[in-house]
Amino acid sequence: MSPEPDLPESGRRGLDPDDLSHPPGTLDTRGAHNATHPTPGATSPRKRRTVLAPLVSGALESRHTRPSDRRNSLPERIALAALLALPLGIALVGPFLPVPERDRTQPFDPAAPWPGTDYLGTSVLNGVLDGGWGIVVTAAAATASAFLVGLPIGLIAAATRRRWIDELLMRPFDLLLALPSLLLMLLLASIAPPTAWMLVLIVALVNLPDIARIVRAAALETAHGPAVEAMWLQGESWWRTSIGHIARSILPTVAADAGVRLVGAFYLVAAASFLGVGAGPEASDWAVMVDVNRGGIFLSPWGVVLPAALLVALAVGLNLLFDRLLARKAAA
Amino acid sequence: MSVNVTGLRAEAAGKTLVDDVGFTLDAGRILAIVGASGSGKTTIGSALLGAVQRGVTATGTVEVAGVDVLHCAPSEVPASHLPQHPAAVLNPVRRIGGVLADIADVRRETARTEARPPGPATAARIADAMRRVGLDDPAYLRRFPHQLSGGQQQRLVLAQAFLCEAKLLVADEPTTGQDLDNRDRIAAELRLAAANGLAVVLLSHDLDLVEAVADDMLVLDAGRVVERGPAARVLTEPEHDYTRRLLAARTAEPAPAGGAEAPIRIAGRGLTVLAGRRTRVLDGVDFQARQGECLAILGASGSGKTTLARTIAGLQQATAGELLLDGEPLPVRGRRRTRAERARVQYVFQDARASFDEHRTILATVTRSAVRLRGLPPGQARAEAERVLHEVGLTAETANRRRDELSGGQLQRAALARALAAEPEVLVCDEITSGLDALTRKGVLDLLAALKGRGGMTILLITHEPFVAERLADRVLRIEDGHAVMEN
Amino acid sequence: MLAYAAKRIGLGAVQVLAVAVLAFALVELLPGDAAVALAGDQPDPDNIERIREQMHLDEPALARLGDWLAGIATGDFGASLVSGRPVAGLLVTALEPTLILAGLTLILLLPLSIGLGVAAARRRGRWPDRLITTFTVGLYSVPEFALAVLLVSVFAIGLAWLPPTAVGVPSLLSEPAVLVLPLLVLLARPICSIARLVRAGMIEALDSEYVAHVRRAGVSERRVVLAHALPNAVTPATAQIARTADWLLGGVIVVESVFVIPGLGTALVDAVNARDLPVVQGIAVAFGATTVLVNLAADLVAFRLAPRLEVAR
Repeated sequence: MSPEPDLPESGRRGLDPDDLSHPPGTLDTRGAHNATHPTPGATSPRKRRTVLAPLVSGALESRHTRPSDRRNSLPERIALAALLALPLGIALVGPFLPVPERDRTQPFDPAAPWPGTDYLGTSVLNGVLDGGWGIVVTAAAATASAFLVGLPIGLIAAATRRRWIDELLMRPFDLLLALPSLLLMLLLASIAPPTAWMLVLIVALVNLPDIARIVRAAALETAHGPAVEAMWLQGESWWRTSIGHIARSILPTVAADAGVRLVGAFYLVAAASFLGVGAGPEASDWAVMVDVNRGGIFLSPWGVVLPAALLVALAVGLNLLFDRLLARKAAA
Repeated sequence: MSVNVTGLRAEAAGKTLVDDVGFTLDAGRILAIVGASGSGKTTIGSALLGAVQRGVTATGTVEVAGVDVLHCAPSEVPASHLPQHPAAVLNPVRRIGGVLADIADVRRETARTEARPPGPATAARIADAMRRVGLDDPAYLRRFPHQLSGGQQQRLVLAQAFLCEAKLLVADEPTTGQDLDNRDRIAAELRLAAANGLAVVLLSHDLDLVEAVADDMLVLDAGRVVERGPAARVLTEPEHDYTRRLLAARTAEPAPAGGAEAPIRIAGRGLTVLAGRRTRVLDGVDFQARQGECLAILGASGSGKTTLARTIAGLQQATAGELLLDGEPLPVRGRRRTRAERARVQYVFQDARASFDEHRTILATVTRSAVRLRGLPPGQARAEAERVLHEVGLTAETANRRRDELSGGQLQRAALARALAAEPEVLVCDEITSGLDALTRKGVLDLLAALKGRGGMTILLITHEPFVAERLADRVLRIEDGHAVMEN
Repeated sequence: MLAYAAKRIGLGAVQVLAVAVLAFALVELLPGDAAVALAGDQPDPDNIERIREQMHLDEPALARLGDWLAGIATGDFGASLVSGRPVAGLLVTALEPTLILAGLTLILLLPLSIGLGVAAARRRGRWPDRLITTFTVGLYSVPEFALAVLLVSVFAIGLAWLPPTAVGVPSLLSEPAVLVLPLLVLLARPICSIARLVRAGMIEALDSEYVAHVRRAGVSERRVVLAHALPNAVTPATAQIARTADWLLGGVIVVESVFVIPGLGTALVDAVNARDLPVVQGIAVAFGATTVLVNLAADLVAFRLAPRLEVAR
């Protein structure tokens, strides 16, 4: 049941004294209407958006994880910040820390100082400090490039009046979506030279279809909605309409999706490293460490536990962060 | 059995929604609660159903057939709800028959526990209820709610109320959003409910419906009862000033007739719009309107009137036909229209809220019209915009707000202002009064009446309410299933 | 329904075709002389010549494409560059473990996640709900390989409750204990994601007008939850299952690697590392076809369950 339209939270609306103009009160809000806030003039004949469809592909929440469902308390925020700061800090700063290279000793050396040595005898500490940078930067670069290309494509596909342009742009992506991302990655890795740039390119390519689709879906509603029509009627220039208005209105959705994509890219890069695919044989990052040091896990566990813990912390932290941002946006 | 409300008070966050409301209603009688939005009638309706919105505290007694609905479990509430949009209370993924069976089974269970003799079998009871509301065909039971029309859905909700043996029906704005021809049907349904022994509380601002069915009437203003009594008496001899104002909004003098002999401003011939391959939304429609005249385009929803309006404005592409503006061809394909042509034919959206950019102030948006369509420099355009906004009744302070801070009526006026700022020769108004309550609608219509004929502006008024057409139009064009039927 | 199914199957067929063409195109995308690139570590002229012959690299691309597609239709995927054995045979042997893993995961997925989601929704705000929510967020975030390694270390090596790998096991079904950890890993993320969707959908359904309506009519709470709210809650989750296939087939690759299960995933990784393109291509088509099938099934189920969802395009 909806509250009276002039409850304090909507009291910002100025009421002209002789303009008792709120639309007829309704006892129903949910069900047939997409109503996060009551929509005056609710009898428009527009298509009713079904509340059953997921809001954003990749989003885990519908609007029901309201802030009231979770305490956004200070200790929680600090814990989250710490959870993220530690692995991120090590990843980004680690390679530049002036920690001396330790000498190679024997593999899984019980006598070596904490955290011991890995399967080759090199120091785990050095591995941990150097091993985060590659994964984080690759994931970030791949996500950024994917957006750089996907955003304009999605926007154009949504805003164009010519159906064939839309089809031309999006159909190839529909076809690409038939393949799971890890599989696509492996396929491309099988023919690509194993350099870091290729990995960035491949991960970007894998994410491109999803991004284009999401941008297009978000922009579609606006691009053919009344506001854009009104702008046309006003003689507004194309530039102002598409960039000024459409792009601006999809920004929240895109920002939310960027988070999801980043996390996905991170997983993909880590999984690829773990499988030994992608970067060359000399590559050694956290995921590779988890893979190669598995054998000696009970001689010297830190070779696996440390990088695994850092990866998990980073993954959990990123997920929690973007979850919160999504929930806040959905509740707003 | 009766409904007894005493001293009902509802508050939310310090604001009083309902202030000491009380009434009594017997079975078989219809009580209409009338008032503008924000008057508290929604809250009273909720309270009668035993469901008050989160954050609202309700005190007082609300008794329906002896049950204190504010303090009992939901399953014990003997009231049923007929919402404005009936689809809201119909489960979208379950077949109609299944839900009806679930409801019917309830009474069977209660009968068993109370050692009453079992009544007729479930299927028979369902068939009986459906027959009573006029949905005889057993095929309905296998359908989903969305496959029924709005009117059929309303009747289905009524059938559910009969089936669960509700004692009270709360009908919330049943005519708003429906076509006018349905008012009689809805009135018949409400009378049917009363005849079946339910008490009916009708929340509405549609005074015609109230006049047709209500036995008693309550008028609410800002949460207080300002007048009560038999409906017939209140409607003809109102005692309170507020009631008088409400009633006055129902009638008004027709606007001055315009331009019977003026030259033809805009005309269309053979306009055809296809949707998909087969469906003709508009089929060979002809029309014409003179300078200074108001032509009403009247039709039920889905008749094609909005498509015609959008085609004229250039927002919809016509498959065939031509448009003439002052005798000169006007491109039917909107994309081909120059800015000057767009300035001459302007359109006011029905969903005013959605047509405004949420990030800009109203003033900024209206100013753009003046800048882009009349080529005025920014300073002058702004002054123009302020002038037009003032003319439609929006203060400068309101104009400096953004769209989400304005109410529906204010936005409708702002949309008018945006169109007027272009100084159009033809103004197409698409259902701009639907969804507005009586007082607001009066305001907008008064405004249009004042604009009519000014500077020879032609108004094309699209509506489904004959009353609006009567008030303003010189001539009426009826649209039915894509065909223009009559012009008088 | 039929029209939608036909359209959807048509799209699926085109997608499989596209996958096949893409797999074929891999060879075309190799820089420089394909045969040399494929020879990789052993670039002696004999080897290169053998490769060139085996893969018909002298013929024009279009002809090879035709042969490739015709071959797929008859089940001939060429021969491995490394072992010389027919790829089709490899696929068949490797398919069984992968199908078992994927199939069991899908079967267990729905009941478990729906149960979890409904339980959380009914006790919304109370501690069981908070626990489930926090747990699902946390577990969802853990990368599969990290989870797998962790589980193996703790349960297989440390506590020795379960076997650490599937080495030496003739068939997965013959020794179910081997399946426990891999399934746990494969189920972890999808359960979390779907359970949350179900929970959100249930909360929304339980709060909805139509549920309030039947509650008022007196329908029992149990019936309301199971027969009125749940059908609505499950629909968005069904759409998610298609995306789960994406994770699943990716996760299977990782899981097979950690638990040494000789399925398609292991075969693929080995082939990629060895640049054994015919095998890569064959597995790509197999995986692609499987994904398309699962997506198709999920789409059809979703469409059937939610007849009022409009096809948005």
